Amino acid sequence: MNLPDYHFFPAPLWLITTLHILTLTLHFAAMNFMFGGIVVILFCKLQDKWQHPVVLQFVKLFPTAMAATVTLGVAPLLFVQLVYPQQIYSASIISGWFWLLIFVVAIISYYFLYAGSFSKTGGNKLGTYLTVALIGLLYISFVYSSVFSLAEHPTLMKTLYAGNQSGLIINSHIGSYIFRWLHMLLGAITVGGFFVGLLGRHDNRIFPVGKRFFLWGMIITMVIGVVYMFTFGEYLRAYMRSPAIWWLLVSFILSLASLHFFFKRRFVISGSMLFISLLGMVINRHIVRLIFLNEHYNPATIPVQPQWSVFIAFLLCFLLALGAVWYMLRMYFAPKHASSPR
Amino acid sequence: MNYPFWDVDIGYGILMPLIAVIHVFVSHFAIGGGLYIVVAETAARKAGDTMRLEFLQRLSKFFVLVSVVFGALTGVGIWFIIGLLNPGGTEVLIHNFVFGWASEWAFFVIEILAAIIYYYGWNKLSPREHLIVGWIYFVAAWMSLFIINGIITFMLTPGEWLTTGNFWDGFFNPTFWSSLVLRTGICISLAGLYALLVASRYPSSPFKAKTVRYNAIWGLAGLIVVFLSFFWYKNAIPGDVMAHLAETISMPFTAIDQLYVYSAILAVGFIVFGLFIPKTFHPVTGVILMIVGLLWFGAYEWFRESARKPYVISDYMYANAIAVADVESLQENGLLPSIAYRTGDDGADLYRRVCRTCHTMTGYRALKPKFDGTDVDFIAAIIRGMHAMKGNMPPFPGTEEESQLLAAHIYNQVDHRHIKTIYNFEGIELGRKVYEIRCGKCHVIGGYNDKTESLVDLSDEEYNDLLDMAGDLGEEMPDFTGDDTERQALIEYLKTLTEGGAQ
Repeated sequence: MNLPDYHFFPAPLWLITTLHILTLTLHFAAMNFMFGGIVVILFCKLQDKWQHPVVLQFVKLFPTAMAATVTLGVAPLLFVQLVYPQQIYSASIISGWFWLLIFVVAIISYYFLYAGSFSKTGGNKLGTYLTVALIGLLYISFVYSSVFSLAEHPTLMKTLYAGNQSGLIINSHIGSYIFRWLHMLLGAITVGGFFVGLLGRHDNRIFPVGKRFFLWGMIITMVIGVVYMFTFGEYLRAYMRSPAIWWLLVSFILSLASLHFFFKRRFVISGSMLFISLLGMVINRHIVRLIFLNEHYNPATIPVQPQWSVFIAFLLCFLLALGAVWYMLRMYFAPKHASSPR
Repeated sequence: MNYPFWDVDIGYGILMPLIAVIHVFVSHFAIGGGLYIVVAETAARKAGDTMRLEFLQRLSKFFVLVSVVFGALTGVGIWFIIGLLNPGGTEVLIHNFVFGWASEWAFFVIEILAAIIYYYGWNKLSPREHLIVGWIYFVAAWMSLFIINGIITFMLTPGEWLTTGNFWDGFFNPTFWSSLVLRTGICISLAGLYALLVASRYPSSPFKAKTVRYNAIWGLAGLIVVFLSFFWYKNAIPGDVMAHLAETISMPFTAIDQLYVYSAILAVGFIVFGLFIPKTFHPVTGVILMIVGLLWFGAYEWFRESARKPYVISDYMYANAIAVADVESLQENGLLPSIAYRTGDDGADLYRRVCRTCHTMTGYRALKPKFDGTDVDFIAAIIRGMHAMKGNMPPFPGTEEESQLLAAHIYNQVDHRHIKTIYNFEGIELGRKVYEIRCGKCHVIGGYNDKTESLVDLSDEEYNDLLDMAGDLGEEMPDFTGDDTERQALIEYLKTLTEGGAQ
């Protein structure tokens, strides 16, 4: 019997890549809100911080932001595994235990965010809950950076695996991803600053906090981003000649413009620019991966056997999801009458 | 063989269920619980039962904490673990079903948001709006089951997909509908179980009695659906698969027996503690029933997984991620050249690729006791004929030379003393052990591939001749490589056999 071959993409690569980039950007937006928000709340200097209504509002929102981060993270993980299975699975196997621990740590962080959200005592206890959650998120982000960076270095993967097969190896070329990791973290803190400023726009104690984190976060993120770029080594030339550099430039300009409009308190424009700038950075990241893998793997060589009927089914489900989300959010945030539901 | 192999001391057969069973236990509750809560809320609102509404609000907090956090993240955990344990199998699934999974994700988004809004909406939404969100939650959650059910059942019964490669043929495979009904029954039953646990914390009162009884009825209703649909499900598995299983492997049937036992315990628990003495339903009883429920669901999953042996995708890819279509070529050209991640120790690389998915040396499904006291040639011959062994084993996907390399790797880790010394046996007892180690892997007396008939009433000379030419008796038969002590003990034992397999 001729068994079906599975080395194919069920849709054109551009379509899968678009889906991946879009969903990954949404994931990052939610993650930045949560991670950046926690950092800003924890490290801002504010009198009676744990009694401040905007701070408490953030604390209440964090579990939902975590839910959004996890939910929106599933789709890009799915698409990236479809296109780069050999790279992603291999890297995660080499760091198997660290990788597997991610979901356990995420559960712990999640519960601590809920503990903070349900806490009625406030005070230092809230700080402790958020700190524990933050440590967990730092771990997760570090392992992600390490594994995804390792996935772009097939030769290194083989060398590391030959030395140890137990899954207790963490990417030893820390210089190649430490700045990538820091860039992600600082970017998240920058976006966190934006959201703190946005939610605290009517409060003259909170808004400057958000503004400060947004401004300084962005400056440091850009510096770290440039340093990260110079760790590309032999790939830097290819990077400079690729469309990535244009996306980088667009993101850079949009970020500064976003800052400008934020200072002018034009939050919708500022937020939109920030989101597009994030999208540009995700595209940039995607191109960097292609450059790094160029000698070993080109996804464009994988044959396409479109499953259009299934794709249409997915599209319908996706539109249904968008409709349901809009419907429920509108219902939830609509002004309510005074009468109690019960 | 494009992936490295994660060589952990824990057997894959333990790691996978550890995460998967816990996840499905929570995720099925997340579906059944959605139906339970919205039906109960409708009834409570109609009756103006505020106590019950308070109970449901409390249940919904538990529900969000368990399903949205633990359920969702253990689901991510499954993604992680399948990629670690069987990247090859996961790759096949992802290439074929990515848009199925993406559709499931769309419902997952609805489900998570609806669960959060439902919980936070108790005091914010109107009753009507609250119920609408509850129904949206349940439908989205059940739809995600609908989709994932197609992928899970595909792995056991890919059906027409094997010839057409068509997504829909694989998705709506022979066990799709029966499994969907069965899993829906599990969801309903688990909703009753979880609600019982929450209700158990209430002080004894008529309200508690009423709530416990109501929850027990859910548990029982689900159990009845599961019981009936399980027969449908079992019958939907192609007859030749079940017949082959019956001949070669006891695991799925042990799992079925356990499923019946746990079902009976649950039924008795629901009836006695839920219907007869509901007022005194204690949290300990709730916890015990939850544990039985976990074992019950685990037994079903165990049946499903073991019935698939030796495949990860039936008739398409073996559990060790060797594609059925590749076996012949690997036997001709060798497995080693196809392994992308080599360590410099060829025997160890072969061991990981061929055996380690299902076996460890000393722990889970240990190989060491199977080969203690034997020799390289014997082990190599067994490896080459492993497809003929009991337990539904895949064929060896390598060359003869590779079987020797693998055998040498295994031999280095087994006990090299004489079988007699290792087990401290003499005479017939020793012979029985020799039979178990050297013959019993493929010929079970009174069981799989029984050859007792041809072994009874022979003379010493005939037994000796038989052992001398053992390797010529069949392609998969190893030579008898034991020494004289083993040989004499084995003959003594064979003489005790009688026709029909009885000793």
